[in-house]
Amino acid sequence: MATTQTTLNTGLPPQSETDEARRIDGFVVSTALTSLALLAGLIGLEAPIDRVWLLFVGVGLGIALYHAAFGFTAGWRNLVLKRRSGGMRAQMLLLAIATVLFVPVLGFAETLGLTGISGTLAPVGVSLLVGSSLFGFGMQLGGGCGSGTLFTVGAGNLRMMVTLTTFIIGSVIGTMHLPWWLAQPGIDPVDLIAGVGVMPTLVLQLGALGLLAMWFARIERQHHGEVERAILQRPVGPWYTTLLKGGWPLLWGAIALALLNLATLLIAGYPWGITFAFGLWGAKVLQALGVDMAQWAFWTWDYPALALADSVLVNVVSVMDFGLLLGAMLAAGLAGRFNRASRRPLPARSITAAVIGGLSMGYGARLGFGCNIGAMFSGIASASLHGWIWFACAFAGSLAGIRLRPWFGLDQ
Amino acid sequence: MTIQRDYSRIRVLAVLLGLLVLILADHFNSATFALNSGQGGVATSYSQLDSGACAPCGAPCPSED
Repeated sequence: MATTQTTLNTGLPPQSETDEARRIDGFVVSTALTSLALLAGLIGLEAPIDRVWLLFVGVGLGIALYHAAFGFTAGWRNLVLKRRSGGMRAQMLLLAIATVLFVPVLGFAETLGLTGISGTLAPVGVSLLVGSSLFGFGMQLGGGCGSGTLFTVGAGNLRMMVTLTTFIIGSVIGTMHLPWWLAQPGIDPVDLIAGVGVMPTLVLQLGALGLLAMWFARIERQHHGEVERAILQRPVGPWYTTLLKGGWPLLWGAIALALLNLATLLIAGYPWGITFAFGLWGAKVLQALGVDMAQWAFWTWDYPALALADSVLVNVVSVMDFGLLLGAMLAAGLAGRFNRASRRPLPARSITAAVIGGLSMGYGARLGFGCNIGAMFSGIASASLHGWIWFACAFAGSLAGIRLRPWFGLDQ
Repeated sequence: MTIQRDYSRIRVLAVLLGLLVLILADHFNSATFALNSGQGGVATSYSQLDSGACAPCGAPCPSED
């Protein structure tokens, strides 16, 4: 757990840090709460109430990600380099909980009276394969995936602000090229629920996730002789202090993320996503600078075109991203660690890695229909084949990124 | 006892204020703001019939055949 936390660029200190340093930062907490109230008020004035709820769901996600230090990037790296599987097993648990929550809801939506909801489904083809591989490569150099980048930025990490900026630039370039990539060979989305039914889907997915978790644990046992209690680790202090100030067991994080993603599905009508907003923000900047975005086919499609013409305050993904940023800021303030990760100077090589990583993730996220959250987490929870393929290809790309990290002076 | 901070309060407030200005500038030029200001016939995110993309991930809808 401690290993995972210190490698996530969250600014979390070693466990030996004194309680004094963990005092709640009143300025950061009050600033985050004031910003949140202001944003919720603005959204409430202009948009239906569901957007306000989604803002608060985003806040919950930001708090959970930060307090549990739930990142995908370090978990993948720890398995490859250190043969430690805690992070990977936590991710399998997250996907298993989400599968149990999502598959029955999506499969019996009409029976349950839930109209207008759908899972995250996307095509399988060259675009997905290239995009997810690029994303996996970029996340190791960038220092975080989609959610990891966002929550560390919210916690004041300066290096990750570089990653986010270039992530946005890469996303916009990706929207320019996506139609060409989609013209390459591929097939329509494969929906397991529609194809084989609810129960077989549950059995298939839970079986696959269980086997993967066992395989990861076996790798760890072979190299270390035992498997770390990373998921079920008890909090260091009283549970209410941990809940407020952080250091959540990964189990808490997995449960919170899965439940909040279900809340997103039920309120918004589709599961949690992050990276569409990055492309949207970049396109809005270009449009403000006089670029005619209608020249790009992607921005003429109904959903992107309307999102571009409309306020970010009514765009679900943007609103949730804002909530996530403020939630992470609030959590970092409660932990007394806001901007802690920026204490050390930023070497030029590290910034170069952040730029390459951000651009790769941004471009890859558009070609691969999302990041670890939108494509992998929400895709697999929705029992879409593209989520599984995204996971496999991103992991393969991640291996290349891990090998390159030392070139940029990044720790392993 | 004072806490040693790792940031400048002014910079944090300046960044947040800058973001707020950008969000408001975008909002005042949006379809939703126009509709709320009384302009008719404006398509907003709430009147959307989504036929070009099926999800916010940007994935296109399945082909018709």
